[in-house]
Amino acid sequence: MRHTNILIVMLLLLSATQALALPDGHELYIRNCNACHQFQGAGGIGLPLTTKKFRDYSDDYLFKTIRHGRPGRVMPAFMEMSDAQVRAIIAFLRQQTKTRARIYDTSQLNGNPAHGKQLFQTHCVACHGSDGGGRGEGTGVTLSRKRAFLIMPPAISNPGFQAAASDRMIRQVIRVGRPQSGMPAFAEQGLSDQDIDALVAYVRELGKRAAKRPEMSLNEPPSHVTESPYDFETTVTNVKQAVVGANFRAFPDRFLEQGLIDEFSVNPRQIGIRFCNFNKLYDMLKIEPRLGVVLPCRITILERPDGKVLLVTPNLKVVSHWFNNDQLVELWERMEETFTDIIDEVTL
Amino acid sequence: MRFRGWLLTGLLLITSGARADHMLMARVPMRADIAVEYLKTSIEEHGYAVAHVQMCDSGMKGFGFKSDTYRVVFFGKIDEVRRIVAAHPEFSAYLPLKIAVVAERGETVLSAINPKTFDMYYPKDKTMQVQFGRWYNDIRSLFHDVDQAARAKAKTSHNAP
Repeated sequence: MRHTNILIVMLLLLSATQALALPDGHELYIRNCNACHQFQGAGGIGLPLTTKKFRDYSDDYLFKTIRHGRPGRVMPAFMEMSDAQVRAIIAFLRQQTKTRARIYDTSQLNGNPAHGKQLFQTHCVACHGSDGGGRGEGTGVTLSRKRAFLIMPPAISNPGFQAAASDRMIRQVIRVGRPQSGMPAFAEQGLSDQDIDALVAYVRELGKRAAKRPEMSLNEPPSHVTESPYDFETTVTNVKQAVVGANFRAFPDRFLEQGLIDEFSVNPRQIGIRFCNFNKLYDMLKIEPRLGVVLPCRITILERPDGKVLLVTPNLKVVSHWFNNDQLVELWERMEETFTDIIDEVTL
Repeated sequence: MRFRGWLLTGLLLITSGARADHMLMARVPMRADIAVEYLKTSIEEHGYAVAHVQMCDSGMKGFGFKSDTYRVVFFGKIDEVRRIVAAHPEFSAYLPLKIAVVAERGETVLSAINPKTFDMYYPKDKTMQVQFGRWYNDIRSLFHDVDQAARAKAKTSHNAP
C-alpha cells in the first residue's frame, strides 16, 4: 500500500516533468527519423529531406505527414508523439534546411478533373503511375542496389499524402517541379495555371479512387504449426527435398540452439531447414531493404517430448504487414502459398 | 482502491513512452563491416550469445548480384530459448532473435522486429509480455551502444594527429 503511494507520486512527478519539459527536436529526429531519412536529410530508406523541397512545404503539411505517415509506403504514422514533439521535429528540420514555412491558402481549387486526367496521362503517369500510386519498387533513394528511378516517385494518391497536402501546395510543386528528383517545372513546360489546377483536381480524384489497402486480420496467428505424420528424420529429409523442388537453394542445417550453447549440449531434435532463392531475394530487397530481420526462409522442425514432430513456419501474411510496405504484402501472399505447398508436400 | 489501480495504469501508460511500431531501427555513422563487430561485442555484453552471422551480401554476390554489406546477426540466451520453445513451440519461428545490418554509403542501418509486436498474440501471458519488454529494452540498448561506439570512434579519428 505504502509502496503503491510512493510509486504513484513518482509517476505523477515524472509525467509532470515530461509535460513541462520542452521537447528536443534534434533528439526526437535522431530517435524517429534519422534511420530512414539520414541526419543531413540525404535519404536512404526514406526520401531525402532537402532545402529545395522544404521551401515549398507548409508546416501543416509536415505535421500531417508525420502524424499520418504514408500507409503502405513504409513511413509509419507517428500517432504516439505529442503535438509539441511533432512541432519540435519540424522546427529542427526548418533549422537544418534553413527554410521558413510556406503558408498556403487552404481553400480548394476548382480545376476540371477531366482535363486534368488528359494532362496527367501525358505528363505524370510515367513516374506516378496511372493510379497515382508511384512507380518503381520500394521507396527512398538509390543506394547499393539498382533501381529504375533515382528517387521513388511519391504515391500522390496515398491517403497520407492526400490528408497532408493542400491543393495549393500541390499546385506549387507542379509549377516548380523537383529538379533534383527529375520532376520538371511544369509552368516552364507550357502548362497554364488552369491546366495545373485541372491536374490538382485529378490528383484529388485519384485519392478518392485509391485502392483499399490490404488489411491484416487480427485472427491470423504469427506462425503456423503443422504436425508431421512422419518421424523426425523422415520429416527433415522431406522438407529438404520439398524446398529444393520449390526452386530454393537449401543451406546447411542449423540446430535451433546452435551457437547459443556448446555443441555437445545442443538439442539435435530441433532443427532449422534454411533456404533461399537469390533471384527472389534480390528482387525483394529492392522492395524492402529491411527484409533481413526475417531472413533467411526457414522451416523449423521440433520433436516434442511426447514424440510428436512439429513443422513451424512464420505466417508471411502477418509478417509482411509489419513493414508497412504494400508491395511486400502482395509479394508475400504468393510466398505464403509457396510455403503452404511445401508443408503440404512434406506432410502428404 | 479501484481508482488507485486505474490511476496507476494510466500513469504508467503516459510515462512508458512505449511505441507500437513493428520495426526498431537505428542509423549509426560507421561502416557496416565495423558496426557488425561492435554489435556482436555489445550483444555479448548484454548476456546473449551470438549464434551466427548470415552474410547475405556474399550469397548475393555469389549469384552475380551487386550488393553492399548486408548481414544478419542471430543471437539469444539458451535458457530463454529453451523455456519459450517448451511452452510456445510456435514461437520457434522467431528464434534466435535477429538484427539486420545494412550498409548505406558509409553509414549503417540496424533493424529488428520490435518484440512488442508480439504482445497482441499473447494478451494473457504475462511471462511472454515481460520477455518481449526485456528484449525491446535490450535491442534499443544494443543500438545505442553501437551508435555511441561509432561516435566515439569518429571523435578519435577526428582528433588524431
